[in-house]
Amino acid sequence: MRLYEYEGKELFRREAIPVPRGKVACDVESAVQVAEEIGVPVVLKAQVLAGGRGKAGGVKVAAGRSEVPGLAAELFRLKISGFPVEKLLVEECLNIKRELYVGVSIDRVRYAIAVIACAEGGVDIEETARKSPEKIARVNLRVAEEMLPHQALYLAKAMGLKGAELRPAVDMILGVVRVFRAHEAKLAEINPLIITAEGKFVAADSRMSIDEDALFRHPELSQMGIEKRHEEGELTEREKKAREDGIPYLDLDGDIGMFPGGAGFGIMGIDFLVSYGGRPANFMDSGGGPTPERLAKMLALLEDNPNVVGIFGARFGGISRCDDFARGVVMFLKEKGLTKPMAMRMTGNMWQEGVRIFEEARKEHPEIFKNIEIYGIETPIEHVAKRAIELARARKEQGKK
Amino acid sequence: MAILVDDKSRVIVQGITGGAGSFHAKRMLEYGTKIVGGTSPGKGGQQVHSAPVFDTVKECVDETHADVSVIFLPAQFVLDGAVEAIRAGIRTVVVIPEHIPVVDMMKIREEAKKHGSLVIGGNTAGIISPGKANVGIMPDIAFKQGRVGTVSRSGSLTYYVADTLSSFGFGETTCIGLGGDPLLGTTFEEVLELFDKDPDTRAVVMVGEIGGVYEEMTPPRIKTMAKPVIAMVAGVHAPRGKRMGHAGAIIEGAMGSAREKLRVLEEAGAHIAHTFLDIPVILSKLGV
Repeated sequence: MRLYEYEGKELFRREAIPVPRGKVACDVESAVQVAEEIGVPVVLKAQVLAGGRGKAGGVKVAAGRSEVPGLAAELFRLKISGFPVEKLLVEECLNIKRELYVGVSIDRVRYAIAVIACAEGGVDIEETARKSPEKIARVNLRVAEEMLPHQALYLAKAMGLKGAELRPAVDMILGVVRVFRAHEAKLAEINPLIITAEGKFVAADSRMSIDEDALFRHPELSQMGIEKRHEEGELTEREKKAREDGIPYLDLDGDIGMFPGGAGFGIMGIDFLVSYGGRPANFMDSGGGPTPERLAKMLALLEDNPNVVGIFGARFGGISRCDDFARGVVMFLKEKGLTKPMAMRMTGNMWQEGVRIFEEARKEHPEIFKNIEIYGIETPIEHVAKRAIELARARKEQGKK
Repeated sequence: MAILVDDKSRVIVQGITGGAGSFHAKRMLEYGTKIVGGTSPGKGGQQVHSAPVFDTVKECVDETHADVSVIFLPAQFVLDGAVEAIRAGIRTVVVIPEHIPVVDMMKIREEAKKHGSLVIGGNTAGIISPGKANVGIMPDIAFKQGRVGTVSRSGSLTYYVADTLSSFGFGETTCIGLGGDPLLGTTFEEVLELFDKDPDTRAVVMVGEIGGVYEEMTPPRIKTMAKPVIAMVAGVHAPRGKRMGHAGAIIEGAMGSAREKLRVLEEAGAHIAHTFLDIPVILSKLGV
């Protein structure tokens, strides 16, 4: 879960990491006010939960007071990776002499906390890491291992710092490791770490991501207003609706609706459809043990989506049982009805009961099943995927006539 | 034979008095799994489906000589539960819940390494050795005893693979759900090593998916294994996910994309299956 730059900097400040003087502004007027408090020149930085801000024009320097309102208004009109700009961070301008990089993250291969430093900070750091890995210095810590000053000193020396530069660099490295640990971050990055012309070390930017699974034990973050948030940028109307119902859902640009069981098959099913010449309209996950109501809502998302021509359904009952699945589908068919053709397969835990529920409902209301083909364990899922594509094609042909 | 769990495994359920713990304890018992006890602090002395309940894992292990534990606790209690189990002498700990904090899983893994135990998960469907023991939440209908070992990150994909292996007559020695959490207690590479040593396992099917590093860690093992590995990776056509800062890219490089995973697996000598139906075809060609 990403933090805004200003939130990360507040956490930095609490661990005595120097950050530029600055404040958050939510509109043009307060941006002007902050600029007056700090004194021009100031830098105006769009606050969004996405990278690529600089390249999107999200950072502006106002050399004089008169430039602030225009630049601030321009930034508030911007969208960066789908995120509207709702806040600006207005900060003092720094006289940059050097830009370094310091970052802390989880190394999942080594099961370690990796503290990384590089003499060349800035936006090209990944390029540097790829092309000249020898320029990246790192220390791996075990999960409960304390970072000792000499380890930070080695990193500072590896960045080519000397003499009076070493002490402030060591303090900053130890500080960012403390920030990382104190709030259970997955990432804490100072990029760039700036040495000013006056010789001061300042964290000019912060990039932080928190382990949202550990938020329950960090009341200090909720006190700062840091709570679970979505990071996908702009959502489509359907994605918003799905989110309200607690259904993981993404719109894709095809015409075959995916009505899968778990997330794993949700992803693999997309691969199957594409490799058989179909184009999936969405990704969806039912989550473990979905209720019939939730399953009905999932189907409604596809029925109401005008892009969806046909539906590919799959249920392998594990923790989520086939009888619940069948109840959800029947509930949807009775209450709302499916106008789009669907090929689906159902097997796994309680499949006999699932089949019985379908058969009973079909006897009672044969008309609600007229667009639906239900397969069982005897038919491989690959065939059902192909059948869904055929049904969607046939429907499209019908539409043309 | 099988790996990690078999008909001799003595299994306990941590959180046996809860809804999920009790429901799945019953299913596991019905399958023939030796559920010898369970834990729930404050409920010691009770019984669930004839299994005795203890306050602590230590008492439970002392009394029942259990060697496998399956955890049905809320995520925030898994650190305590798993470490207690490891310290009490449990050899294999299966973590069913998802969303285990990363720091907690790192601590659990360190403790497991120290004691020579193995932690599977979190967010796993469990382990099943068909015909012998079912530890977790997997639907037994999909599984038949046989000669292929399988390991997968996703529950639903595990069932499809098992279903395919069963209907084509290969069956499985053991099927392991590695888990869907971002940091896992055990890696693909470690499971491949176990399967390689198991005399009854003739080949291994591993099913990966987009994201993470565990598939990319396997090539050195695959290259030295005596048994063939069939690999599948979901997410070749998935929309590109979000990335995690520069540090993630510096540490993990190109790792994470389905195509990159397939590339390194194929280069290491794994046989790539694009659909479930490819698996029996490959196995037949290999004479498994």
